[in-house]
Formats: sequence, C-alpha cells, structure tokens
Amino acid sequence: MRRDLTAAAVALRVGAGQAMAGWTVLAGRCLFYVLIMTVLSALWDKVAAEPARGAIALPAGGLVLYVLATEWITLSLPAVHMRFEDDIRSGGLEPHLLRPKFYLLQSLAQSLGGTLVRLAALGGTAVVWLAVTGRQGPPAATYPYLFVLGVLAVTVGMLLYAVAGLCAFWTRRILPVQLVIQKLMFLLGGLFAPISLYPDWLRKLAEATPFAAHLYWAGVQALAPSGAMFLTAAAWQVLWIVLLSLLCLALWRAGLAKVLREGGV
Amino acid sequence: MSAVITVKSLSKAYRYARRRGGFFEAFSPEHVTIEAVAGVDFEIARGERVAIIGPNGAGKSTTLKMLSGILEPSGGEASVLGLTPWRERKALAYKIGVVFGQRSQLWGELPARESFTLLRHIYDQEAAPFAKRLGELTERFALTDLLDQPVHRMSLGQRMRCEITASLLHGPGLLFLDEPTIGLDVTAKAAIRDFIREHARDHGQTVLLTSHDTRDIELVCDRVIVVNQGRIVVDQPTDQLRRRFLGRKIITFQSAGQGVSLNLPGVTRRLSEAHATILEVDTKLTRVEQVIAAAMADGGIEDVTIEDPPMEEVIADIYASTHAT
Amino acid sequence: MMRAFRLYAAQSSAAIRTSFSDRGNFAIQVGGMIVNDIFFLTLWVLFFAGFRSIGGWTLSDMALLFGLTMSVVGISGVFFGGYRDMAATLLRGELDALLTQPKGLIPRLLARESIATAWGDLAGAVFVLGVFAKLEWTDLPALLLAIAAGTTVYVSASISFASLAFWAAGARTFARDLTDFMLLFSSYPGSIYQGAVKTIAFTILPAGFVVLAPMGMVRNPGAQTLALVLFGAVVYGAIAVGLFHLGVARYRRGASPSM
Repeated sequence: MRRDLTAAAVALRVGAGQAMAGWTVLAGRCLFYVLIMTVLSALWDKVAAEPARGAIALPAGGLVLYVLATEWITLSLPAVHMRFEDDIRSGGLEPHLLRPKFYLLQSLAQSLGGTLVRLAALGGTAVVWLAVTGRQGPPAATYPYLFVLGVLAVTVGMLLYAVAGLCAFWTRRILPVQLVIQKLMFLLGGLFAPISLYPDWLRKLAEATPFAAHLYWAGVQALAPSGAMFLTAAAWQVLWIVLLSLLCLALWRAGLAKVLREGGV
Repeated sequence: MSAVITVKSLSKAYRYARRRGGFFEAFSPEHVTIEAVAGVDFEIARGERVAIIGPNGAGKSTTLKMLSGILEPSGGEASVLGLTPWRERKALAYKIGVVFGQRSQLWGELPARESFTLLRHIYDQEAAPFAKRLGELTERFALTDLLDQPVHRMSLGQRMRCEITASLLHGPGLLFLDEPTIGLDVTAKAAIRDFIREHARDHGQTVLLTSHDTRDIELVCDRVIVVNQGRIVVDQPTDQLRRRFLGRKIITFQSAGQGVSLNLPGVTRRLSEAHATILEVDTKLTRVEQVIAAAMADGGIEDVTIEDPPMEEVIADIYASTHAT
Repeated sequence: MMRAFRLYAAQSSAAIRTSFSDRGNFAIQVGGMIVNDIFFLTLWVLFFAGFRSIGGWTLSDMALLFGLTMSVVGISGVFFGGYRDMAATLLRGELDALLTQPKGLIPRLLARESIATAWGDLAGAVFVLGVFAKLEWTDLPALLLAIAAGTTVYVSASISFASLAFWAAGARTFARDLTDFMLLFSSYPGSIYQGAVKTIAFTILPAGFVVLAPMGMVRNPGAQTLALVLFGAVVYGAIAVGLFHLGVARYRRGASPSM
C-alpha cells in the first residue's frame, strides 16, 4: 500500500513535469483564460449596469469573481477521459496490465500532477488579471482556503471525466457521455452563474450533485468567503471524491473483467 | 535526342535557426547555413531513365523539388521541358507526374476510382481520352479489382500502384519519383519496378527517380547520378556502374559447426565466426548459386540469407574510387 | 471560372462523402453538436428570462447572433472544412504534392476536409433562426448575404492564422486557438464590448465582421450597413490571400520551419 502511494506520487510528479515542459501550451491556456474572462466580465458588468432589472437580482458586486473561480477550475481540468478511451480502445492497456502498479491510480495521479500545475499557473493569472483590471478580489487571507477548494474541485471534475473515460469498456465512442457530463457540469455545476440564482427546487437538487462539488462551492467561496461555507464546501467535495472514486473502481473492475473474459473490448 | 532537363550550377542553401534548449535561448537563435545542393550540372535526354542516389541529406530530394517547381533554388538555372520550374510551376504541372513515396495524393477513405476522377478535373482532362488511359493503366497494373476499394484498406503495395497510376493519368512526358518503393515488400517492389520501366519504354517517357534501394536503380534506370554533400560524385550509365559496384551480393551462412570456408574467384570473406560466415560475392566472376552449392556441399549449413550491399556502402565505394583516381 | 467551380464541387463532395463514411461516428458527432447547441440556447433562454436585456440586446437578438454564428461555422465546416487544421496540414509538408499540380492552392486546402459536426451547427442554425430570431421572409436576402460575408471573413481570418505556420512551427496549435478565440468573441452580445476589447473584435479577432456587422445589416438594412459588411469581407479576404501567398513564396525559398 505504501509502495503504491509512492509510485502514485512519482506519477504525480511526472505529470507535473510534463505540464511544465509544455510551457507554451500552458501559456496558451492562460491567454485563453484572460480572453474568456475579458468577455465574461464585460457581460456581467453590462448586466449589473442594466437600469431595468429583470426577475433575478444579482448579488452585490456582480458575478465576475464567481466566474473567475469556475473558469479557473474548468480550464485546469485534464483530458483524462480521452486518455482512458485511447488506452482502452487501442489496446494500449495491455502494457500497463503487465506492470505491477495499479493503472487507474497511476494514470489518475499523473493527470492530477498536470492539473495542479495548471491550477497554480491559472491561479497566478487570475490574481494578475484582477490587479491589472483594477478589480477588487477576495481578501488575500482567503487564498489558501480557495486553493484547497480548487484542488478538491478539480479532483471531483477529473473523477467525473474518468467515469466518462471508463465507459470506453462498453461503448466505442465516449463522446456522448463526455458531452452529457460536461453540460451537466455547466448547468448543475453553475459554470456561468451560481445555482443559487436557480428556482428553489432546482437549486436544492443541484447542490447535492457532484457537479456542484466540482464548480459551485469553490465559486461561492470566491464571491463571499466564509468559514462555515468553506467547511460545507469541503465536506461536499470530499464526499463526492470518495463516492466517485468508488464508482471508478467498480467500473474499472467490471471493465477489466470484461477484457479478461472476452480478450478485448 | 533533345534535352528534357538541363541543369546548370543549380544550388540551394538553407538557413535555419539552431534551437538551444531553454526558454531565453529561444529568442536568440544561432543561424546556420547548410548547402543542400552545391552547384550541380547535368542534362537528361528524352526517354532516359535516370536515378539520383546518395545517402540521407545528400540533396536528392531537394534537387527533385527544385526540378518539379516546389522549391526555388538559391542559384543556378534549370530548364524542364522548356520551362523554368519555379517560375512556371503551373504550366509545368500539366506536363509532369510526381510521386512522393511517403506521401499520398489520394483520398484515403474514398474508392481509388473517385480520386482518379478528381485528378481528371485537377488536370483538365477530357472524359473520353482519360477513360481510355485509365483503362490501359489499370489493366497493365492489375488494378481493375481494386478500383472500387477505399484506398486506406489497400496494402502499401496496392496503394503505391494507385499512386503511380494517379501520377500518369494526365499523360505526362516526364515522371518524378521520390523513393517509390520505400517500405514495400519484395514482390510489390518488383511489380512497381517492372511497371515503371515498361511504361516508360513504351511511351518514350523520361523518368527521374531517387532511391535508397540499389535494385530500383539497376532494374529501372539506364543512368545513375550519385550525389554526396550536395555535389555530383559520379554520373554514368548503370551498366558501367554495375560492372564496378553493383554486381555484388552479401551472403550470410548460419552453420551448426565451424564457419564455411570457400575458395572461389570473386568471393571474399567479410566475417567468420563459429556459427556465422558473411561472404561478399562478385557475381560477374562467380554466380550466387555456385557459392551456395559449394557451401552446401561442405555440409552443416542451417540458414542462408542473400542481400544487396547497403546503399551507403556502395556510395562509399564509389566515392572512395573517384577520389583515389 | 466554371471549371474551377466544378473542380471545387467535385473535391468538396468527395470530402463530404468521406465525412459520411463512418456512419456511427458521423451520427454521434452531429448529435453531440446539436446537444451542445441546444444547451447553449437553453442557457441564454434562462438568462434572458432572468435578466430581460443586456445593453439593449434581447433574446431575439441573441438568437440572431447565435444563428448567424452557427450558420457561419456550419457552412465553413461542411464546405471549407480544411480551414480548421490548415496550419497542421502545411506543417506536415502536404503542400508539396499540391504544388506539383496545376490548380490553386487555397481552394485545394479548403476542400480537402469536411467536418461532420458542422451539420449539427447548420441544423441548429435553421432552428434558432426560424424559431427565436423574429425574422420575416423579407429579411431572407439580407440574412443570406450576412451569412456569406460572415463565412468569408471567418474562413479568411482562419487562413491568415494558419499562414503563420510558414513562419513558425508553433502555429500548429496557436492558429487553432486564434480561430477559437474569434469564435468565442462571436458568441456573446456585441453590446458588451467596449474600448480595447471592441478594437480587438474588429481587427485581430474579427468577430465584429463575422457576425456583429452582418447582424446589424439584417436588423437595419441600408447602404451604410451593407457597405461595412462588404468592406469586411473584401479586406479580410485580401489579407488572407496576400498573407498565404507571401508564406508560400517563403516556403518555396525553403525558409519555412522544417516542413
């Protein structure tokens, strides 16, 4: 067990190293972050400045900080689903099965390594963007808490995509599963606007989903930091990390059994 | 015989930035100039089949690219079918056929027939003469059954036959082939060589090919231009070159006991170990089957392989001999 | 001219049939894109239900913008799909084979591929324009012209981005990113752009000429709006052709990054 974790730690470091070596790609992602924030902040500022208010009242200060956080998480996510699809469908799994270490843990750790590097780079970009545009960010003292929620949030997102990827054991193309999960992240997770703006019944439903654990809780913390909220957020996130890990494990075992039984996918 | 290709002191120098690892070095690259082709002269007459050979980076492909109009030279002149290739690229394109062995000009997912039809439009061919030519080519190349198969489902040899057919559909008088047999198995190579040679002979077509394979040259071309480091080392008829350099085979014997020992004219030992013997055979003096028969008579032979000497070796020999004299 | 058109049609139809050849995959891709578009539409419907207007834009304006963008992306993808990966195509050295053939390079490169998902965009565009955009039949000529001009600018800008590959190998992904950025700018209400952002949207990432100006022409047909739209199409078309041919000249001097 300890050795498995050591191997996973090495894989995590390899993933981080890969992300840093591809610094041009990383820089491109940061540029994209700046551009999308430029557009979305313009959108929300315009809505906030609208004289005739609609049915929904915006929180004071607008939603820019919320979107800054949710995009930060979304753009940090790894394409772990594509990696699983490639490996499972192309027979690339076999060399991994010959190794004594657990493929699922190894590849998730490697993906997480790259994700953490992106999370740090994009986080830095967000702080710079706030400074350059002269916007009031969350108090600096809340940054460590935000980072913790960010790490938990990308872990939830990565596990959701891992579920999509592991479906490759049963379906030739995982694109439909991926799209459904992605859209649910946007809608129930509240990528563009907090789910607290939704009708009450939908808000209650969405809060309990892994999609909210992926985006909403960290976004709300950026908008209105509070200790109690932090604990609620972390609790939901940890709960979903445990549940999704178990789901991944179950899918992996069932898929592997299928491969071993039928000699392939 | 009139010259189809005339080349005078043609040269091409590439300048490129040498990258050094890190982030900051990317902004202060070091510039290096490489002379890929350093002033070559030759003429090719109508109906000649000429091979340009040389080691990797010798300037073969660069020369071919300049003569087909893809690349501008940095100096010198060339006339191909009366045109300057890099200035009159489109006019020349109607008159030449080009095959890049490692690159496809066919639409992979579609049946070969559809690619051929598209090429008809690209080369502005009338339907009737085109159909006639396609009929002849597919029959000669045994493609009739393949025409309605998607190209990506064909074997490499079948695909290459289609590529060559595609390059001939507009009836070019001049054919450029860049490594036409690369990656193919022995039978496929043989089919392609036979086809190129016979088609060119029957149609009075001029062929210029580059290759790594000495057999391509021996079986297709009647003249060889050897280039090394951008310069022409040798330019002579294949017969002459064959007599001096190409008529050799490398035979490797695996034996159970001690090595094979033979004493035949033109046979030299390259390596002799406990279980393996490598012989170089000059086939003008002793034929391959004589060598094998003699070795078999000795007994204890488990395995035999016959190979051509690698191109690099042949060129090294040629290079050495031209510099010695 | 007729011959060139026939050749383009033949190539384009070959590319489209290629994109159809794997039916299952085609269905998934088109279906996926429709799901994607429906999702965004739902989001905007919810948005306008909550906020009524953004800087004077209402749901029907947003639907027109969204429909125009989808039409442009759809038509570009189906008939000029080679624009998407043009930088990578150039860097793979596939220009060589085209250079040995007598026809124009840009049409050959554009027609080499047709993107399956683009059909989903086209279907979405018809739906959104028909149901939500509050258009009359009399708007049709202006709408068609708007789509044609927008497609010209979108494809032209993509060609210009791809031409960067003649100068730098890094353009492989960068060109695609720039095209995506242009698309991002084309997917939000024009009323939110001000100052520097507006300048970018009408210059380097010409979302302004892809959808915003054409949209203005559909809403307020007239000599002035028409002139602006035509101006955009001609200028970006000329820039693309000029930049591409400068690049090809460089490529044929052997000065482009190792291709």
